Amino acid sequence: MTTNGKKQIPCRDGLWSTRISPDEKPQLIGSKCPHCGEVFFPVNPVCVNCQNQTMNDIKISRRGKIWSFTTVMLPPPQWYKGPVPFHLGYVELPEGVRVWTRLLGAEAGGLKIGQEVELDIDVMQEDAEGNEILGYCFVLLQE
Amino acid sequence: MREVAIAGMGLVKFDKYDGQKGRPYKEIYELGAEAITKALKYADMEWKDIQVAYGASMFGGLAVPNQCTSRLGMPGIPITTLEGACSSSQQGLRQAYHDVANGLYDVALAFGTEKIPPGLIADTLSPVWMLMMGFNLPGAYAIGTRRYMEETGATEEDMARVAVMERKNAIMNPNAFWYQAPELTVEEVLGSRMVASPIRFLMACANANGASAAIVCSKDKLKSKAKMVTIAASAHATATYGYNNLGFHFREKVNPNPTEIACKQAWEMSGYGPEDMDVIQVYEAMSPAFLWDVEDCGFCKPGEAAKLLREGYFEIGGKMPANTDGGLMGRGHPTGATGLAQIAELFFQLRGEAGPRQVPGAKIAFNHCSGGGPNALCHVLKR
Repeated sequence: MTTNGKKQIPCRDGLWSTRISPDEKPQLIGSKCPHCGEVFFPVNPVCVNCQNQTMNDIKISRRGKIWSFTTVMLPPPQWYKGPVPFHLGYVELPEGVRVWTRLLGAEAGGLKIGQEVELDIDVMQEDAEGNEILGYCFVLLQE
Repeated sequence: MREVAIAGMGLVKFDKYDGQKGRPYKEIYELGAEAITKALKYADMEWKDIQVAYGASMFGGLAVPNQCTSRLGMPGIPITTLEGACSSSQQGLRQAYHDVANGLYDVALAFGTEKIPPGLIADTLSPVWMLMMGFNLPGAYAIGTRRYMEETGATEEDMARVAVMERKNAIMNPNAFWYQAPELTVEEVLGSRMVASPIRFLMACANANGASAAIVCSKDKLKSKAKMVTIAASAHATATYGYNNLGFHFREKVNPNPTEIACKQAWEMSGYGPEDMDVIQVYEAMSPAFLWDVEDCGFCKPGEAAKLLREGYFEIGGKMPANTDGGLMGRGHPTGATGLAQIAELFFQLRGEAGPRQVPGAKIAFNHCSGGGPNALCHVLKR
């Protein structure tokens, strides 16, 4: 995908769906075990719960609830180029998986366990060639 | 398997050896060699008595243990390098213990040395995409802490109280980073800079350098059997399904975590239980971990730790003295050296050499250590 003549590159291939029709929104891709039903994100080739040796891809629902969170006040060294302070947390999704994520759309001190959030894909930073590096995040749904 | 005794231990005071502000400059190898030399002196042994060595360092780079020992002698013995995040040096103890217990060697050395780069500890556990998204170790700890608070009702005051207790103990420990420092108050801890909510600066361990060493041997190799301390259990476990790489659960907690598994093994191996312990060490790189670690190790019911802490249960004069030398908070946390520093305090306690920190009549001690991975090790020592 290009925008403003710059290439957009996901921070890691395979974290979210990309070959989608224009009216479809991206979804995180996980693995579901056909034997025990556990869902993992990101994808994993085997089931670390029951050792089943094959897994099926599953598109994970876009909306979930905050399971835990933190507001990071000190800039992490080296790789992160986004704003500080910023929020991180785990989001619980209907498929029974909890996904670690950035949390956007809240003022500092405004997050609570149980709030509803929705997936978004955003530009995190640029690489040395000026390409935009994309990441996923979950955005607070306003009441 | 035969009984294994600890012949001697050595510590280099946890401090900054960066040559700034009048402090001495010491290389990571010098720190390691110093700790080993102290352990040899304590054990009344010489370097040539050591038959095998396990050295640990997290940030030191290539073959750090060899560089430490080559300053003491070069007899060509096997020297293994270990890295297990924060439990590195205690993993070395377990290897040394097994070698002697199983009759492979009679005298084995375990040691750890560390010079942590200044600033936030770099995360080399996580893939780059996660680091680009902002993943960091204090943040990950903070997320686990908030969940613990949600599930148990523990408060930020409780977390601050751990830091206050451990500073009080460290003030009496000449090998601790905060030796002779002023006492902390709960207000000071809660007023300190926020790192990642709810973790504040004074709830995190000091960034320090240092080294630690232990010599273990078969009983017949001891120069003196007076006040003999033996290893009654040495257990090591990693995560079962449902835990992330720092050991926090993010699934429903159906499987035990590494601490619970290692503890259970330690109780089974030693034949003792939590109620038999006279003095303990539990791991807490950040102060809330003290609360869940004493619970996971079986010293109280889940959710009960904060209340017991408030009642003075874990103070030196309390029912279950914990982290009597200051713990990670008070000692500082040169990661590769921490594991054996925990053991050292218990060793000195059991031998009646803990000075103002002494728990009277301590005969049986328990140690819990954990690290990124995640992993946990538990040891039981007895006199």
